[in-house]
Amino acid sequence: MNVLELKNVTKKYGEHVAVDGVCLDIEKGKVLSLLGPSGCGKTTTLRIIAGFTSHDSGIVEISGKNVGHLRPYERNVGLLFQDYALFPHLTVAQNVAYGMRYRGTPSSVIPSRIKQMLSLVRMSGMEGRYPAQLSGGQQQRVALARALATDPQIVLLDEPLSALDAKLRVELRIELKEILRSVDATTIVVTHDQEEALSLGDEVVVMQAGKIVQRGTPTQIYAAPADKFVAEFVGRSNWFHGATRDRFTGGVSSYITSEGAEIRAKSAQSEQCGRADLCIRPESIELVEEAAGAIAPDPERNVLTGVVFDVAPLGADVHVVIELPGKTRLLVIRKNIDRIPAVVPGQSVRAVFAASDVLLFSDRR
Amino acid sequence: MKTSARTTILLLLPAVAIYVVLLALPLSTVLEQSFRVFTPGRIGSEAGASLTTENYSELFVPVYAHYFIRTYLLAFCASVIALIFAFPIAYYIARNASSMARKSWISALIGLLFLSSLVRIYAIQLTLGPVGILGPAMSFFGVNMSGGPYLNFVIVAGLLHYQIPMSILILIGAVLNLNPRLTEAAQALGASAFSSHRTVTLPLCIKGLISAFLVSMTLGVSAFAVPWILGQGRVLFISNLIYSRFGEVGNYPSGAAFSVAMIVLSLLLIFLMSRLTTLLDRT
Repeated sequence: MNVLELKNVTKKYGEHVAVDGVCLDIEKGKVLSLLGPSGCGKTTTLRIIAGFTSHDSGIVEISGKNVGHLRPYERNVGLLFQDYALFPHLTVAQNVAYGMRYRGTPSSVIPSRIKQMLSLVRMSGMEGRYPAQLSGGQQQRVALARALATDPQIVLLDEPLSALDAKLRVELRIELKEILRSVDATTIVVTHDQEEALSLGDEVVVMQAGKIVQRGTPTQIYAAPADKFVAEFVGRSNWFHGATRDRFTGGVSSYITSEGAEIRAKSAQSEQCGRADLCIRPESIELVEEAAGAIAPDPERNVLTGVVFDVAPLGADVHVVIELPGKTRLLVIRKNIDRIPAVVPGQSVRAVFAASDVLLFSDRR
Repeated sequence: MKTSARTTILLLLPAVAIYVVLLALPLSTVLEQSFRVFTPGRIGSEAGASLTTENYSELFVPVYAHYFIRTYLLAFCASVIALIFAFPIAYYIARNASSMARKSWISALIGLLFLSSLVRIYAIQLTLGPVGILGPAMSFFGVNMSGGPYLNFVIVAGLLHYQIPMSILILIGAVLNLNPRLTEAAQALGASAFSSHRTVTLPLCIKGLISAFLVSMTLGVSAFAVPWILGQGRVLFISNLIYSRFGEVGNYPSGAAFSVAMIVLSLLLIFLMSRLTTLLDRT
């Protein structure tokens, strides 16, 4: 049975539709990421589930019970705020105990439960500290312990890691995943950070302008984005706009881009496309130097010639920007461990990618 | 940049001079007067009058002690009532009102403080006084409009007229400083609206509440015109007593002793309240 079910939930602010007919369900123990740019309605959705915002139409069910009319404190929803919202006048232990007092945990159980929760988030021994005496990461752990202490039916995390610095974020992300799994918490993570969404979620729901655009596993979202928006929002991408020139067997068609280049794409949908947006992920492009000699022609392979514009070695990855004829720029990401050609700006190179790596979005304009 | 000791002294000199001439000197004159013997019929003490503590022992005469008790008690009641009224209003203005509405509220409150004190007092007199519009209703319910309890009530109403807007303005700042997520966090954890305010909002606004209380107390204790007019001569505050000592009887030493006692009491109050703040404030 689904722990949470949203049926056609809509919320309007005046003329602006913040949440537009959202349908969402989540099974027990699963982690669902709600991903989208700011203003897409994901935070409003979260606030509707928590009960802080009332929806105009639709049904919100928790464990099969309509909770639309219930106040936040009448629902058992654990909420982790972006800024943690720890009570500054209470100690760590008092913060964790706060919800238990109201959720009817027997007072004899509270001390052992505090201990248990703090050891879960690796904060044992910090009971007597005040939030101001804790680092950002520690505050996050305490906030998580506080949210989980009441054993909520559903846990909502609002941009859980965005206030932390990059390195700590990665560490805590792994730990957060482990903690949520160990308590079998049904969780919704609201975030605009794709890494956070893809790494934490068993499934990812992408929202845009109040609507759900796609729902799928992290791999599906990245490899088979439902539309141009998802492809653009999740991961990096190079874009071309083109018109069909030829159709070949095996689902391969060739497009002439607005810059005059020819790109071949292999896709099940290519049959219907007249004009289309073509997306190429930067990591699916190979770089071949001019000196490497001619490349054997292959109908399912694209070869674009350009000039290296910029090379940025970013640790594990190297970002190479190629300028194609017509001033179009192409981003190529190669792993640093690959024996990548030691290209330098100004050098002439060929960008090679398979036709099957081209994502095709028909242009409905 | 390092400043030498000499420069520091030179820079402080103007401020020190102002403090000495305008504050320390007049206060020391008052203090000095309060220890002088007064000869009735004179204005102020005689030059070179002998020293005495009699002016202070007079404070403990029941009649005078009552002035103190009444002043502080009524000011205290009014300050507490002011907080009770002001806090929800301040919370509403800070939290729920649109920024446009908030601006209008704040302007209106500041405007209210600019209103002449006499206008406010006579407005209350015309409403709650013996010939006021509520007079018939009061006499219908059998309220003695010249009795002490009723006059105390009218004086408290007069004090609230100052204290409520002032307290609201102070508390708006306190509520604005409070992270609104905290109340939500409390409610998400199961605390009802009331409990979340009791356990989170109030403890975190304690500094603002105590500041508002102290300012209200100051306004209340030092009130002069409010008891003067609304007390109908039957209920008077220390300020009125001090005025009559200085202005009507010419007994400067006695008036000075009352003034010094008031200063000491007020300092004591501020000390106690700041101790209370440190005790209650855990942030």
